Amino acid sequence: MEIRYSSEPDLTNPVMIASWPGIGNIGLIAVDSLRRSVDAEKFAYIEPWEFFYPNKAVIRDGQLMDIMFPSSAFYFKKTGRNDLIFFIGEEQPAEGGRVYAEGNKAYAMANLVLNVAQRFGCHRIYTSGAAVAPIHHTMRSGVWAVPNSPDLLDELKKYGNVMLMSDVEGREGRGNITGLNGLLLGVAHRRGIEAVCMMGEIPIYLQGFPFPYPKASKAVIEVLAGALNITTDMDSISQLSVQSEQELSNLYEKLPAEIKDQLDRLKQVNASASEGTGVITEEDKKKILDDIDKFFKRGGEQH
Amino acid sequence: MSDEPVYRIYGKPGLKKSVLIAGWAEDAGHLGMQTLDYIMQDSGSCEFGEIRPEDFFAMAGVNVEEDVAVFPQSKFYVSGNRKLVIFKSSMPRSDWYRFLNAVLYVAQKHCGVKEIYTVGAMLSFASHTMPRLLMSIVNSREMKANMAPFNVVDNTDYETPIGQKPTLSSYLSWLAGQRGINAANLWVPVPFYLLTLDDPRAVKRLVYFFNTKFDLGIDFTALDLQIAEQSNKIAQLFRQVPEIESFVRRLEVGEGLDTEEAEKLSQTMADVFRRKPKPQQ
Repeated sequence: MEIRYSSEPDLTNPVMIASWPGIGNIGLIAVDSLRRSVDAEKFAYIEPWEFFYPNKAVIRDGQLMDIMFPSSAFYFKKTGRNDLIFFIGEEQPAEGGRVYAEGNKAYAMANLVLNVAQRFGCHRIYTSGAAVAPIHHTMRSGVWAVPNSPDLLDELKKYGNVMLMSDVEGREGRGNITGLNGLLLGVAHRRGIEAVCMMGEIPIYLQGFPFPYPKASKAVIEVLAGALNITTDMDSISQLSVQSEQELSNLYEKLPAEIKDQLDRLKQVNASASEGTGVITEEDKKKILDDIDKFFKRGGEQH
Repeated sequence: MSDEPVYRIYGKPGLKKSVLIAGWAEDAGHLGMQTLDYIMQDSGSCEFGEIRPEDFFAMAGVNVEEDVAVFPQSKFYVSGNRKLVIFKSSMPRSDWYRFLNAVLYVAQKHCGVKEIYTVGAMLSFASHTMPRLLMSIVNSREMKANMAPFNVVDNTDYETPIGQKPTLSSYLSWLAGQRGINAANLWVPVPFYLLTLDDPRAVKRLVYFFNTKFDLGIDFTALDLQIAEQSNKIAQLFRQVPEIESFVRRLEVGEGLDTEEAEKLSQTMADVFRRKPKPQQ
């Protein structure tokens, strides 16, 4: 398990932004879009062999030419103030068919990423993922922020469109961040490095869908760009976001009226949360998910 | 995980320059295991080592197959004529890199393996009556030249589609190449309706290749009997259910079947070949 460097950039006071795939690939798309928009340059990667099964074989004229693995790569961008290091993990080193990493390999991967962060003197790390929330897909996604130290709470409260766990109805400041986007916070804390996970809200009924939710990624990019004090081109993610909402609306129209009525109640959640009336209960959430599940298992036809 | 080696050698294979043939238990049509079993049975093979299962398989109970509990195993055998090392294994659930490197370590250090073959089945939409092709994917130009005289299909172009993974055989072949060992993945197309059953014709195609290449002197009588038995059963089925015969005839001339027809063909074959005699009262 080694890190291979192709160059050793001279960085000033860098910040690391890291992400692995998760629900709707919200964090990964956000971080990768940021990386692309600042045109960051690749300078290192983590050897994949002990973490991953290959994801591609290339055969030409009957000869196996290459086997490829999911990449875990580092990129840098000099900004003149706080330089940036991006880490993009194409896959979590999960085992036994799981999506999220856990156990020895996850811990080893988190430590390798932090080795790079410390080698270049990163003082802050951001990770990003998804927050499954009782919201409607026509609403703006918020961003849930979880720091690895209480010292960061006041700073996070100043960001627009950001919620702490205690701001989320029913959470009472508690929750769980699955996989490496969460684990990295804990391991960073052990090493005395500040870290924050920014999670874009995805509607509860879309959490199992096998496609991205760019609206949440866009919300994360906006928050991260503000936190990092960088300007970024939002055109591409905005376009994806509009397109995705249109596709979802088309699909939504095909839902049976009963399910649509249930989901429409989610439009009132934000207002009710502040009023404390709790329009959507845990029971409601379960029913919505069950109904959606049944609808798609039937092949989406109406009855 | 312990600090002990992940393999155990409990016999001395006594080989200096040999060939490894590997197959996986989960192979479609049981092709890999049946091919290796046939070669081993005919050459008086004996077991000499294993990859320890605890690091690579979920130790969470056992699977039951054909009424019997099956525990994963990964074992090495040497053929009676000392020409071949056979590796029969379940597919590991994790740590594939370490697992395959352990296989290659045992092959190189304990058996002087210079060439590796893997055997396996691939899905075919042709009928069982069509001749079985043997497809070869090699890991070097030298190996390609080595395979040329043996009537193999050796011009495949392929890239793993997004969302799918390369086969464990490809991975082994690639790692073998990293160690300078020539390797070939051998694939025989198996008709879709025999994927969960047996395909003795496909087994014969592979055994025939190894017999010819390594002059093993294998007796094919038992395999020929299995082929004849399968043909007879299918002929009987055709007489009883003419629709099934019409499906197979259409496949023979390259006509496709729709999903419903294909499912009916697969199900009927499964019913015929899995039917067990009723217990006596």
